[in-house]
Amino acid sequence: MAIFVLKNASVTINSVDLSAYVTSVTLDYKIDAVESTAMGSGGHVYTGGLQANSVTVNLNQDFAATKTEATIFPLVGTSTTVVVKADSGAVSTTNPSYTISNSYLEGSQPVAGSVGDLAAMALTFNGGTLVKATT
Amino acid sequence: MATYKVLSDNFAGKNAGDTVTDEDLEGANIEALIEGGHLSTTNNNKKETE
Repeated sequence: MAIFVLKNASVTINSVDLSAYVTSVTLDYKIDAVESTAMGSGGHVYTGGLQANSVTVNLNQDFAATKTEATIFPLVGTSTTVVVKADSGAVSTTNPSYTISNSYLEGSQPVAGSVGDLAAMALTFNGGTLVKATT
Repeated sequence: MATYKVLSDNFAGKNAGDTVTDEDLEGANIEALIEGGHLSTTNNNKKETE
């Protein structure tokens, strides 16, 4: 697969496909660097610790039943599963899916913006365990 | 095993009217899905006959 422009990323939050409302998504996959430096080391030495993932999603707001606000509001203060793909097509080696289980949503902004702005909300899911799939 | 009816048209991999089980929903926040109007509980209790 060649380089590409994000045009049709897929974002599923708590089993609900909200891709049609997503304006941007950033999946930050991290593993803590736990220092294991000891005497005799010439520099800092690290070993991999816990995953420290986050998913930031910006969505257009929609108060209609089963759309963005109705889906997100009950999730605040709870953990759920978020699935992200670069393209909405089938999962493959060139379109892997990233499933973050047990990811915590601390808050949302049901109303946000200035006069003239498109109503939107920004979400950040923190923590959880990421699994990549290619089939 | 609890079962739920899908009510919304944006439930991943399912259509409105489909039935899902709590096993299908592993990792999901079922209460939030019900509150958000995506699922309804189905009554699995059989009518008792005397």
